[in-house]
Amino acid sequence: MAEKQIKLTIESCLKNVSLIGQAVNKISSYIGFNELSSYQLELCVVEAVNNVIIHAYEKEAGHEVEVTFSIYKDRLAIDVHDTGKSMGNKLLEKKEDSSLDFDPDDPGTIPEGGRGLAIIKEITDSVCYKTEGGENCLTMTKIFKQSE
Amino acid sequence: MELKERKEGNVLIIKIFEKRLDEFMTLDFKEKMTEFVKRGNDFIVLDLSEVEFIDSSGLGAIISSMKLLGKKGDFVICGMRETVLSLFRLTRMDRLFKIFPGEKEAIAALSK
Repeated sequence: MAEKQIKLTIESCLKNVSLIGQAVNKISSYIGFNELSSYQLELCVVEAVNNVIIHAYEKEAGHEVEVTFSIYKDRLAIDVHDTGKSMGNKLLEKKEDSSLDFDPDDPGTIPEGGRGLAIIKEITDSVCYKTEGGENCLTMTKIFKQSE
Repeated sequence: MELKERKEGNVLIIKIFEKRLDEFMTLDFKEKMTEFVKRGNDFIVLDLSEVEFIDSSGLGAIISSMKLLGKKGDFVICGMRETVLSLFRLTRMDRLFKIFPGEKEAIAALSK
């Protein structure tokens, strides 16, 4: 069971995402993450919430996106819940994520998007996604380390 | 989106006066950058010293700006905070962009 928990909810509008981002950054600092890790945790949540608004709710306002922070002795777990279109597990199951690969000698071919999940995987210690009873939940876990 | 532009020789310096360059801001940013390039600015310094947060959409918009110039010009970035720079490192974009600590060095690199 989590030692501390907070739930934050926004309506599915991109203009609201910065509010969640700021809250995540402050909570992360408060529980002991340094400036860089707090920024990166904010980045993970912003990427996850953007994905929900753009893909699960297809930019339709009026839906809820709920972010739950659960603080355990050894880790932080962040759940992002929505009731939109499921992204399935295929994107997360890929062992090798090639979305961060590019050819620096051919800048014209570098994609402008599609890095969100790869960024989340790089920053967190584990990521899982499930859909149950019409609700999707992306869980990102970060283990507490002294250097972070 | 609030930004200021000025010219030094043939180099256009664009400084963003927003705390965040995120999904909500990218369309506006892309439109402004397209306009700068259309006006014939081939050498651009993007000053990010006032920007506290960039997500993958903001990064995508910066990549798109660089691609607009193609091979006819050059695009460099300066003034990034360590936190913002970490996004470039995570996504290996520090290998693609020429990144300078300050405006002076960035302008000098493009004026050579």
